[in-house]
Amino acid sequence: MSETVNLTIDGKALSVPKGTNLIEAAKKLGILIPHYCYHPDLSIAGNCRMCQVAVKGAPKLTIACNTQVTEGMEVATNSKEVKDAQSATLEFILINHPLDCTVCDQAGHCKLQDYHFEYNAKPSRFLEEKEHKPKAVPLGPTVMLDGERCIMCTRCIRFCDEVTKTSELGMLNRGDRSVISINPGRELDNPLSGSVVDLCPVGALTHRNWRFNSRIWFTKQVDSVCPGCSTGCNVKVAVRDKQVVQVKARYNSNVNKEWLCDEGRYGFHRFLPETRVLEPLINGKVASLDEALTKASKMFDDKTAIFLSPDLLFEEFSLISKFIETLPVKPFTCVQYKKRELSEVEKILVSPDYAANFKSAQNFGLASEDPSTQYIEGIAKLKEGSFSSVWIIGDRGIEEVEGISLPVNSVGFFTNAENNLKPGIVLPARSILEKSGLYLNKDLRLQFIDRLIDFPSNTEPEWRLINKIAEKRGKKLTDAQSDRDLTLSVLNPEISIFTLKEQGGVRI
Amino acid sequence: MTDKKFDVCEKRAEEIIAQYPDKHSAVMPLLYLVQEQSGCITEEGILWVSGKIDMAPVHVREVATFYTMYYKKPVGRFHFQVCRTLSCALRGARDVTGYLKERFGLEPGEVSLNGLWSYEEVECLGSCGTAPMCQVNDTFFENLTVEKLGRIVDRIEAKKPNLKLSVLRDEMGDGLQGNPKSEVI
Amino acid sequence: MSKKILLKNVHNQGQATFDGYVNSGGLLGLKKALKKDPKEVIEEVKNSGLRGRGGAGFPTGVKWGFVPRDTGKPVYLICNADESEPGTFKDRVIMERDPFLMIEGMIIAAYALGSSLSFIYVRGEYSYPYIKTLEAIKEAYSKGMLGKNILGSNFSHEMVLHRGAGAYICGEETGLINSLEGKKGQPRIKPPFPAVKGLYGCPTCVNNVETLAVLPFIFSEGWEAYAALGTEKSKGTKLISASGHINKPGVYEIELGYPLKEFLEVECGGVWKGRKLKAVIPGGSSVPVLRADEIEKVNLDYESLRDAGTMLGSGGFIVLDETADMVEVARNLAHFYAHESCGQCTPCREGGHWVEKVFTRISKGRGVPGDMELVDSMCSQIAGHTICPFGDALVTPAQSLMKKFPEEFKDRILNGSKSTNPLNYELGH
Repeated sequence: MSETVNLTIDGKALSVPKGTNLIEAAKKLGILIPHYCYHPDLSIAGNCRMCQVAVKGAPKLTIACNTQVTEGMEVATNSKEVKDAQSATLEFILINHPLDCTVCDQAGHCKLQDYHFEYNAKPSRFLEEKEHKPKAVPLGPTVMLDGERCIMCTRCIRFCDEVTKTSELGMLNRGDRSVISINPGRELDNPLSGSVVDLCPVGALTHRNWRFNSRIWFTKQVDSVCPGCSTGCNVKVAVRDKQVVQVKARYNSNVNKEWLCDEGRYGFHRFLPETRVLEPLINGKVASLDEALTKASKMFDDKTAIFLSPDLLFEEFSLISKFIETLPVKPFTCVQYKKRELSEVEKILVSPDYAANFKSAQNFGLASEDPSTQYIEGIAKLKEGSFSSVWIIGDRGIEEVEGISLPVNSVGFFTNAENNLKPGIVLPARSILEKSGLYLNKDLRLQFIDRLIDFPSNTEPEWRLINKIAEKRGKKLTDAQSDRDLTLSVLNPEISIFTLKEQGGVRI
Repeated sequence: MTDKKFDVCEKRAEEIIAQYPDKHSAVMPLLYLVQEQSGCITEEGILWVSGKIDMAPVHVREVATFYTMYYKKPVGRFHFQVCRTLSCALRGARDVTGYLKERFGLEPGEVSLNGLWSYEEVECLGSCGTAPMCQVNDTFFENLTVEKLGRIVDRIEAKKPNLKLSVLRDEMGDGLQGNPKSEVI
Repeated sequence: MSKKILLKNVHNQGQATFDGYVNSGGLLGLKKALKKDPKEVIEEVKNSGLRGRGGAGFPTGVKWGFVPRDTGKPVYLICNADESEPGTFKDRVIMERDPFLMIEGMIIAAYALGSSLSFIYVRGEYSYPYIKTLEAIKEAYSKGMLGKNILGSNFSHEMVLHRGAGAYICGEETGLINSLEGKKGQPRIKPPFPAVKGLYGCPTCVNNVETLAVLPFIFSEGWEAYAALGTEKSKGTKLISASGHINKPGVYEIELGYPLKEFLEVECGGVWKGRKLKAVIPGGSSVPVLRADEIEKVNLDYESLRDAGTMLGSGGFIVLDETADMVEVARNLAHFYAHESCGQCTPCREGGHWVEKVFTRISKGRGVPGDMELVDSMCSQIAGHTICPFGDALVTPAQSLMKKFPEEFKDRILNGSKSTNPLNYELGH
């Protein structure tokens, strides 16, 4: 155990580890010390002056971000002096701010608006003309700058200097002429570039893709996990009219801090196919679900292979492993897994795969320790015609098309109507964005994904299709009626969904 | 991307960099070299410095734009910087700028068509005891009156002396060589 | 007038050469200091009562005592020659005319601190002082005053001259350190303090030129001789840069405790053009102004000026005669501070310009009732709320000019008369 220090904040006593700063210490008591420039994973800049607090015995206010706890310290975050300083800081920040909330993407989730409402809420006394700065400046392919909205917290600069170490951004000039900029010829285009928009506490940096998409209050915001790779970055996704409007990183100190890669962020909608499989098909013809399931349930023999998508839920892998135990001959199984080369910047966050949940497959014995080789073997055997019955569970169960011809006895659980593999039976499945359940990341951290988008009627989650097939074969696997029932059935009673959400996942 | 223009600076740049425990410290003297070669801070100059000291180009640009003595755009061959801060203002800095405005027919920051003249107002140059004063390139002209300034401009126009400090050679231009009385050229 | 320590030799021919310097008694202090234990050197500087001459007036020996020597990291000494406080031009005289005095002082300080590399950060505009100092450093190396085994001792020391490029804020020690590291000259948040984590993350001591230039005397004549000068708490002499509406502007060395009025009348030759005195800013533009009626009993030392509600600061003595328009003075200085704000922290970046804009409005006859209270309340929220003391520096002249000359501001706001004062000029902004 590290050394602890006792102190009081606003009269409430607490003990925290030595080295904790006052913003983090106050958080433990549920006290928010307002701040713009401070970020737990960036160096301390101390420039916004919003987090000033009174420490007993100190001659003047001190910034909480750069003050570490000391034994017996008495801190006030709400004295008159502190409130006056907070109010004045906001007045200063706002004198040159364009106050264009009506057209600003950040409106509704802007720290300037929130703090002004809470800590100042007075009309400005500024009668002069505001300083004008460059607006709508593209910093690179992903991010747009509005120089006038910027409050010079330098979080974006510190991110590029300290996290990605690509140093594309700097603050030019000085005084109130200061402006964030790139150097001509070197754009902000690193693989994590969109993260600076999340870090920007105001509307100075916006996503070029999503500018003027939707007011944030017209969207539903859901906590989820990115299915792009096995890192399992925590995200908050804004959804409107069954569309992804914006993706933000959600803070998780154990997984992604507050970073997110551009591929994951801007590619989030790739998990929703444009043309949907909405009805079961038998040999290309529409059939009833019951008929398709009955037919499929008979397609198991001694040369069966099951190709699993790495997007499936932990619960689904669990159910599939139980299902396999009911079969007379154990089929070949593998999870679709491709290694990927990563650049230095990608290595900060991205895992060397496109297989978000392959660890769950391994956990249930459905994939080997070397999933890549196993998958390559599976595809080779498929091409050789070694399998007489092939199951593809999830669109991404098999990604290759060239040289593959499926046997007559083949079943696909698909969402994408344009899947080029044409199995004998196609069952309408659901996208990962339409399900809720568990993902196990590369570090064996079990995380909960909430459903983002309402599923189309007539589609079924993969687990329910499996369960129905099992039922047809006389061995029902679960009584779960919903994704949530199923999740609860696999969770250890000590872990609730609430715990998973609160703690940012649990290591298993 | 390195420009041939800075080849003559290479040796000097290496000497400068070697003086410091960390080569980033050399950014300011190297920017002076760029300015000496190009007349102002150029894009190629920023890239040259960036390459010499392994500093991101945008951070070199930050430095170049933070300090007032790096010209972000070309100035005249003789660039007059008139101190406007309190002590000079109390003793007639306004007349100095007024004279230059009239004589050159320029607004601050403009360069004359022949490329010789430009002027601007700057903050305290540390010559308050000899106010009002101005700096022409790197040379101080102090205890100015309008008449005296007129004679100085006449002489600069006639002799076109070198009034610059050379970082490349570590010396003052011939206009001031070895002369502690800075108002005499 | 009293004993001269710093300006004793500045008029000697050849003082800026090594031989000239040695002929006038140079190097004696260094030789004596090198024979002492570094701890003893620090102790004697403490005993001398020398206080930092850059403006803060912090005891020099005590400051040295904060620098740890056992961290395994190098210790750096930096000579702050970024003299940029308006009204201050004293260090320039030493650099131009007696640069070896500064260099000798630096070597003594470096010896005391255990530093083998020091830097002189000279402001960019000081080309001539830069060249003179550079020549002196080169000569010092060639004469064994710098480099390996200085003057035959076991102590070795290297010295680098670094030229700034025009930024007032680099006079603040952590701004200077950042500038020297190749960054923008933006001050650092403290803690950590430079003594512990300064240049390149190593223990660092930053001293002003004048402070360092005193050291040769303290060791050649003994700390007792220095401590015998000045007042009980303000020991020694001080360079005063006199400028503004006086007959004899220039740099003068006075013994601390010298009467302000006598300095104005004798050294400065009185107010120029036979006019009456209106006000004095005694310590550089960042200290509170004194009205003519407030200077009678004031002496030029830290305590007397503090008791009079102002500060000795850097010793920039600016005199204003009866014609000075205080609204314009306030505007002029507000412009300076707004221009020099580094832009890092909110109150100074935004507030500094706001103060200037309001003063400009008042001076142009567009002030409105409540403007003075507005500026005052802004200032009280800038002071003490910034990363570095620049915030306090910018509000001090604004608040003190309004406090000492309220009727001038009120009159301009109420009557809106356009100023005809010489300071009211519109160029450049």
